[in-house]
Amino acid sequence: MGRIVGIDLGTTNSLVAFADSQTGQPKCIPGPYGDTLCPSVVSLDPDGSIIVGEPARRRLLTQPERTIYSVKRLMGRGPSDIQSELKLFPFRIDPSSKNVIRVVLGDRIFTPPEISAFILRELKNWAEAFFGEAVDRAVITVPAYFNDAQRQATKDGGKIAGLEVLRLVNEPTAAALAYGLHEKQRGRVAVYDLGGGTFDISVLKLISTSDGDIYQVLSTNGDTHLGGDDIDNLLQAFVHDLILQQDEIDFSPHGELAQELRKTLISLKHQLSKAETATLRFPLPNGSVYTREFTRGEFEALIRPIVDRTIVPLKQALADAQLRPADVEEVVLVGGTTRTPLVRRTVQEFFDRKPHTELNPDEVVALGAAVQANILDRGVNNMLLLDVTPLSLGIETYGGAVAKIIPRNSTIPASAQELYTTGVDNQTGIDIHVLQGERELAKDCRSLARFTLKVPPAPAGLQRIEVRFLIDANGILQVAAKNLRSGEGHSIEVQPSYGINDSEIERMLEESIEYAEQDFAERQLIEARTESESILTATAKALVNPQVAGLSAGENTKIAASVAALQEAAAGSDYKLIRKRIDELNQATEHLAELLMNSAVSTALEGRKLAEV
Amino acid sequence: MNTAPTSTNPPLVCWNCHERTLGTHFCSGCGKLQQIPQSFDYFALFEMPKKLWIEMDGLEKKFLQLSWKLHPDNFVNATEMERELSLKRSSELNDAYRTLRDPVGRVEYLLGIEGERKEGEKKQQAPPELLEEVFELNESLDELREARESGGDLTALRESLEAARNSFQEKLTEVDSQLQSAAREWDIALAGDAATRKKIMARLNELLNRRSYIRNLVTNVQKELV
Repeated sequence: MGRIVGIDLGTTNSLVAFADSQTGQPKCIPGPYGDTLCPSVVSLDPDGSIIVGEPARRRLLTQPERTIYSVKRLMGRGPSDIQSELKLFPFRIDPSSKNVIRVVLGDRIFTPPEISAFILRELKNWAEAFFGEAVDRAVITVPAYFNDAQRQATKDGGKIAGLEVLRLVNEPTAAALAYGLHEKQRGRVAVYDLGGGTFDISVLKLISTSDGDIYQVLSTNGDTHLGGDDIDNLLQAFVHDLILQQDEIDFSPHGELAQELRKTLISLKHQLSKAETATLRFPLPNGSVYTREFTRGEFEALIRPIVDRTIVPLKQALADAQLRPADVEEVVLVGGTTRTPLVRRTVQEFFDRKPHTELNPDEVVALGAAVQANILDRGVNNMLLLDVTPLSLGIETYGGAVAKIIPRNSTIPASAQELYTTGVDNQTGIDIHVLQGERELAKDCRSLARFTLKVPPAPAGLQRIEVRFLIDANGILQVAAKNLRSGEGHSIEVQPSYGINDSEIERMLEESIEYAEQDFAERQLIEARTESESILTATAKALVNPQVAGLSAGENTKIAASVAALQEAAAGSDYKLIRKRIDELNQATEHLAELLMNSAVSTALEGRKLAEV
Repeated sequence: MNTAPTSTNPPLVCWNCHERTLGTHFCSGCGKLQQIPQSFDYFALFEMPKKLWIEMDGLEKKFLQLSWKLHPDNFVNATEMERELSLKRSSELNDAYRTLRDPVGRVEYLLGIEGERKEGEKKQQAPPELLEEVFELNESLDELREARESGGDLTALRESLEAARNSFQEKLTEVDSQLQSAAREWDIALAGDAATRKKIMARLNELLNRRSYIRNLVTNVQKELV
């Protein structure tokens, strides 16, 4: 078995972390650029290879039509769900998309789990390079308020990336785990997690028992479409209008100019978190530079409606936990957007308590995931996490109403049994529609699955089938049925309303191995560099040998040029070029190798390479 | 009347070592997690008598203890059978805790396992003594909707609806306290004769139906007022 890691698959950035086997302390793993943050951006290169992270983020500006960001917003959603987002995001959705969105990148079509899998695979590579060992299992975090389909899509992404997903952990809960380890906190804790695309609020009770520490989630709430992205979109629309008024330049939200503006505004937003004023300078296609000074006050007035949207879920979570703000003993801030002073102030005022910000808000979720991964790997010994389901589970009843069978904030795993019987003679099927949500009508809730219980023909009411709905520790629904008359298990085929089926996942896994070409390229690069190092060392050594006198001036020049060319290639990342330069140097030093061989052995060995001598 | 699980249940055979086992959760022989015995109810799971007054701290303590043992986190590297059993057992534990923690859910559950929970043929029918008030309330609701459509003045209607809601809210509180006293009677009668217990259960059932009716009413009025 390979190593296990914790992964924060974020809207804007993703991270991978592990727990030290000795101390249990979690640590984030840096990527090839030394940074622990991997931008959640994926780009399809014209040569067909997949580029992930920082290099992909740069392509947002040069190849926006081949590059995608914030794919987390599309996970587990159908085309009709995201119409409003499409206006603001440069996502190109394949028109043939039915239940699952299909995104167009260049000339290829991918589902959101596949795109997430590219990010997960990249992080897997980071970790493998770090450990020098295979990584095959992971704990992946999801927003606490993710529904069943969004969770399933995340799990599918892990599978496609070649990872066994041991558990999906809710992001605020993971953060609480990391903080608990860090601060040894006790009592009631509220975790306010405002990230790039999602908002979660979780209320936990930290209990010390004789068995160990228990992290019990009392309630959770949130909005899976509220985050820093919304602030960026708002700023972008605002500034776009200003530019339009002044310079009458309109640009489509999908183009390179829009991406450039977005990038500039994100940096403006970051500046305004630190300074009271910041100046926007944006070069326009007509040669002029749009310049405007922003004050923090102006910025805050603009984004206040977004920050205020977190208050309703906050109040609901407290009400569900039967607590008042003053009952909460500790408040923890998580997610990059909580760096915004207005967010911090809003939370502090709400709880009348200074929130914790000691741990890096970008890293804390990944650290918590690593803690949970360690627990799962080594067995529960001194820490146990009890999480809840964020949304009520219901089934459709007569007249399109919903009967709730598992209330929201139930500790998971949770289950409910329902008894079904036939209403008319010789009825052969009973249709069941499972939903998630708090509304009373089926049409206002999230459809999870529909299935038909097949029953042998019999007089009405004779056949009785017990259906067991179970929400597992990942927050994912499982359904099992039993015919009470025959006592036999009842096979059911549940068709998820928004999701991909197992055979599709298999196919995607196979395809992703095709894309693993990129991993191959990385390995090739490492090997080529190692080889170039050894041949350069051997050449340097050979050149101080007295046998060098046997070389012609032309040969000497050629060797020097080849050495320089290889050094230059090895500094780059093109393994094919490095290989070519290695071959060239080998050729250039062929005679030198012969001379050295001759001095050592009496037999000349043609075609020997210098490094082998 | 305490349902001590190991003494009242028939001897069980472990699915793994096929030996008779006395353990409630784990086989006393091989230590593997066991199926929950058929005869187990939520009270037995928590090793409690079927009393309706439950000491919350004790319930929570027991819940946390059992969570340590049964949670799927303990079985990630175990066999498929054990993983499934843990999922089933821990979901049952959570369901049990959720039910027993809720004073009303607890009564419903008790009546359910005793076979005395009867929701009534006509769930939506008003209890006779409330008929008049419910009739008035429905009229006011209709008037409010009409006034809203025609753009009329809503202030007076809202006030009368709020008064009605408050009156039903009071009735709800009253039912809850009646439920509480019936629950106390049940706890005392637990050691007594079957006929008395049956009578109390009928009373509890009637109160539950009444409570559910009034609660729906309050919710509906609330929705119109928002």
